[in-house]
Formats: sequence, structure tokens, C-alpha cells
Amino acid sequence: MNEARNAVKKIRVLIAMLGLDQHEVGAIAVTGVLRDAGMEVVYAGRFNLPQAVVKAALEEGVDVIGLSCHSWEYLYYLDELLALLRRHGLDIPVIVGGSVVTPGDAQTLLAKGISAAFGPTATPDEIIATVTELAGAATSA
Amino acid sequence: MTDRRTQSRIPLQPLYTPADLAAFDYAARLGDPGAYPYTRGNRAQASGRASWIQRELSGEGDGKRSNAQLKYLLESGQTGLDVIGDTPTMGCLDADHPLAAHAIGTQGVSLCCLQDYRDLYDGLPLERITMSHSLPAVFAVAALHCVARERGLSSALLRGSVIQAPYYCEDCSYAVHMPFKLRVRMAADTIAFCAAEMPKFHAFIEDTYFISESGLDSVEEMALGFVELRGLVRELLRRGVAIDHFAPRIAILLNCRMDFFEEVAKIRATRRLFARMMREEFGAVDQRSWAVNIAAHTSGLTLTAQQPANNIVRGAIQALALACAGVQAIEVSTFDEAFRTPSPEAHLVGLRTQQVIHLESNVGQVADPLGGSYYVETLTDDLEWRIEEMVRSIEARGDAAELSDSGWFRSVFQTAIERHARGIADGTTAKVGLNVHRVAEQNDTLLREVAERKIEPYRERIDWMKQYRAGRDASRVRGAVEALDACARDENANLLPAIVTATESGATMGEMAGTLRRAYGQPADPFGYAEQPL
Repeated sequence: MNEARNAVKKIRVLIAMLGLDQHEVGAIAVTGVLRDAGMEVVYAGRFNLPQAVVKAALEEGVDVIGLSCHSWEYLYYLDELLALLRRHGLDIPVIVGGSVVTPGDAQTLLAKGISAAFGPTATPDEIIATVTELAGAATSA
Repeated sequence: MTDRRTQSRIPLQPLYTPADLAAFDYAARLGDPGAYPYTRGNRAQASGRASWIQRELSGEGDGKRSNAQLKYLLESGQTGLDVIGDTPTMGCLDADHPLAAHAIGTQGVSLCCLQDYRDLYDGLPLERITMSHSLPAVFAVAALHCVARERGLSSALLRGSVIQAPYYCEDCSYAVHMPFKLRVRMAADTIAFCAAEMPKFHAFIEDTYFISESGLDSVEEMALGFVELRGLVRELLRRGVAIDHFAPRIAILLNCRMDFFEEVAKIRATRRLFARMMREEFGAVDQRSWAVNIAAHTSGLTLTAQQPANNIVRGAIQALALACAGVQAIEVSTFDEAFRTPSPEAHLVGLRTQQVIHLESNVGQVADPLGGSYYVETLTDDLEWRIEEMVRSIEARGDAAELSDSGWFRSVFQTAIERHARGIADGTTAKVGLNVHRVAEQNDTLLREVAERKIEPYRERIDWMKQYRAGRDASRVRGAVEALDACARDENANLLPAIVTATESGATMGEMAGTLRRAYGQPADPFGYAEQPL
């Protein structure tokens, strides 16, 4: 599916939150940042379980999945999400970002197989650069 | 054009002089503290040694664990309590709901049934201490009422408060998955019930804090707050509840950000707007109906994950502004709020910040110490005018239910979030340690270690809930829930007596909320997991 995309195609990113985490400020802010950078954002919003995220990623044909977290729930949902992606043979990079993501968490998450982790100190430029790079790598894969 | 502006982008002069207040009428615009229009404060005397109510937002685990946390804070000198529910509780979901598992008790306390409230209040003198409840109001009030009855305590003696957020909860982190009409009814029913049964309890807290943590400016915050407050007042009047029956117990819980003078002016303008509105528009004659109580939280959104020690300074400046503005209660957002649910260490620093201001700075000795300042009075007038204009323009847009359902309110919050993020990204909004005066990540270690400690989900609650359900008198619960269903379908009935009875029978919040949703034509479980109640 990804091979069909050409270089001029806009990068498509899914932004979602997991479980009952309701603090949407980061998710909406990042959505704005990515749209300003010329990307297409599919905003899945709040109250998703891993299955819903994978389903949306599949249906929308996104290049990158971005999970916004302002609660610790993601720590427990992530394994299930990554397993579901593998089961569906989906090689979509997953980025986790949010206020509660500490340097220690970032190490753990990267070891689990996510592609990038952003804590509350990440800048918009860092986020745009990482999404662009991961989308490019996924597209050319 | 000037480049001097407040954080709400109000243009400023480099200097204010007597010329700015040439036509100023002291009696009409200010009056003495404790006198109409209450600009200078709702009480004649400054708080002095008695202080405002000092409290920190708390709640984690179950009722028992939160009770221990509350007692620790009281032992540390806290003079009031402030409890918030965990995310399932705020969404009116029980701890054994499939979506709740990883969120139980991590960002607040899990409160699902009467036993939880018994545990939460255990050993606390509910007639003397004031507890602020950031919880689904209708269920918290019913449970408090039940606990008081069990203790043989007259509900007329109960103190404390509960927030009401019917207009904006679905869009701002407290979604309960209920239609607008039901949300407004639950709020109005609670306020009407308390006006009759719990006259000392503040059941009508207009909470502009949580909505403004999206990045609203001070004008937007208070304008949206007044729109909701006025909507609820009209609803109560429509039902025939007399204005002076409930207005004395209205309070506003607002936000305090970094623009010191703007926040002071906002609070003074709010008191004046409220007094004028109550007297001139709603015809209140009881003076207590004109003078609004104001409580405040310092802003979590102004805090940074970078160099968290700076957040202690931010909290102190904001709390000082609130002390100067003469508010009735303060909560300082903790220095670690930018990256975790408050740690005990950070709670204590927040409380100590208030104690230092109260006992060492002397600001509470004199009422309205900034009153008469050319700048503060000009800014107070300006904010009052802007807030009032925005209220008019929102109300002119049409019915609040329509504005909520069509997503218009949500678009206001979304715009604010994006504006706030852009302001920080492009440096328009200076944030020390974040976009100016940064230090390298590896050197930014002071007070960071609390971030790596997490609160584990309190999953023991899942089995506990299952056992609790199994141990109830099933027919009694069913009867009470059926009665609640019938009550919900009669729009002229007040829901509270039926919710009190259902709570006493052992019904859980999730069961009661599901019953209400279904009576209003929605699925009992908004996520489609649980079986239908009954």
C-alpha cells in the first residue's frame, strides 16, 4: 500500500488517545503543528482502545501513528497495540508523546518497538522532523 | 499601535495617571469592601490571620487511600479539602468498566458507591471542614447526604462545595457522555435540592478553571463562565426556584495565570459583574446574592516540564495575586503537575507556598490592597467591559444546547489550544526554561526525579466492585434503580431523592448514570461494553 505513495503525496498521520485519558490539549496542539507543516492529520481523538487505533490506521492508510498521553494508561495499552500491528502485518511507525512520558519511559518504549518517544520538553520542530523522517522511511520501505 | 499587551492581548499604556481615572465614581465603581458592587471584595474585613481556605487538589487510589492523603494534608496545616475523581469516576463509569482498568485511582480517587464515600469521609468532621468536590455533582451530593444521615448529622449543617460543568464537560476533559439537556437537569436538580436540604453547602460552583486550562485567555474564561452560570440561573428561575433561595451559595472557581495585574483585575471585574447581574438583571434583593465567593487554582498550564523548580516561583506569584485579589480559597498547582499527578512532596510545597504568603508576607492584612491604582482600576473596567461584550455576543449566537451540540463551544477551546501552542512555539509567549533561558536536557535534573515515580492503577478495585455488587440486596437495588428510571422520565421531578435512595440501596454510580442515559434515549454504556442496567 505504501509503495503506491509518491513523493508529492502528503504525509498522513493518525493522532489518537488511549483509554479514558481525556486531556486533549497536547493532541490538539500537535495536530495543529503537523497540519501547519503541511501534513494530513486523521484525528481519532479520545477514548480509543488499541483495536480502534489499528483499525483507523488501516482504514485511513496513515504513514505514522501518533499517540498522545496525559495519563499513564498508554503504558499498559502499548504492548497490545504493537502486537495487533504485527498480527495485521502493518509496519506503521508508532510515536508516543505527552506530558507524562519521562526519559526512563522513553527508553522502555523504544525497547518495546515504538519508533520515537517525546516527553513534554519536545519542540514542534523535533516532532515535525521525526514524523517526516519516519513517514519517509515507511514510504520508501 | 502598542506592543504592550496583557496576556489576554488587551492593549496597555506605558503609564497610568490620574487622567485615566478622571471621571471615576468610587461609590458606583468600587464601594467599600463588603458593599455593592463588591469590586473590592465580598467581605468588609480582609482575611487577616484567619486566612483564605488553603487546600491542595488531592485524591488517589480508593476512598481509604484518599482519606489517608486528606488527613496527611490536614496535619500539614491545610484548612480545607479538595478532592477530584479519577478519570473513570469523572466520566461516571465504575472501576470495573472495561475501559477503566488502567486508570483506576491514578489521577484522582475512584468513587463508585456509598461505601467509597464512607471511606473517603471517615473521621472527617463534615460540619466543620469544607470539602471541595471536583466530582460528578449529582452523585457526590447524594452520597454526602447519605453519609451525613448515617452519622445522625443534619444535612443542614453540611459544608463544602461541588463543581457544576454541564455546558463544557464533554469538550474539556470531564466528558460524561450525556446529552446537554440531561447535564443541565442534573446540575439544576442538584442546586435546587441543596438550596432546600443543604443550605450551607455550595452546590453551584461555576468552574472556569478546567475550561481555561485549554489556553483560554481571561476574557474568554470569564465570558464562557458567565454564559454557563447565567444559563443555570435562568433554568432554576424557570422552575420557580427564587433567586435569593440559591444565589447566596453560588461561587466561582477560577484560574490564575502569570499576568499578575490582569488576574487581579479579572477577579475584581468578576465580582462587580456578578453583583450587577444579580441585582439589576435577576432581581436579587438579598445582599448575599450579590456578593460572589471566589475560589481559585493557580494555573497548571503555565507550568513547564523544563526546570520544574521554576514552577514553585510561578505558583508563588499566582498565589500572591490571588491573595491580593481577596479570594476565599486557593489551591496551588504543584510543581510536578507538568509531568505527573501531584506527588506528596509537591503537595507540601504548594501548601507551604500559601502558608509563607499568608504568615510572612502580610498581604492578607488589608482588604483590596491594589484598589485605587490607576492601572488596576483602568484594567478592571476594561476587563469588565470585554467580558460583558463577549457574554452578549455568545448569547446572541443562540441556544446553548445548540452551541454545545454543533461543536461551537468545542471550536472555541480548540482555537485556544492551538493559539497557546503557537504562542509558545514562536516565542510570543515567553516561558523561562522552555523557549528562553534553556539549559541542556542532561543538566536539567533538579526536582525531576519525582517524574519517574508513578501511581500504579488500583486494579484491586475491579474484584472489590464485583464482590460489592454480589453482596447487595439485588431486589432492593433493582427497585431503587427502576424508581430512578421512572423519575428520570418525568422531567418535572427532581432526580436527587431517587438518586439518594438508589445510592443507599447500594446502586453504583455507573448503574445510575447508565439508567439516566437510557432514559434520555442513549445507550446506558457510552462505549457499548457493559450490559444494560436493571
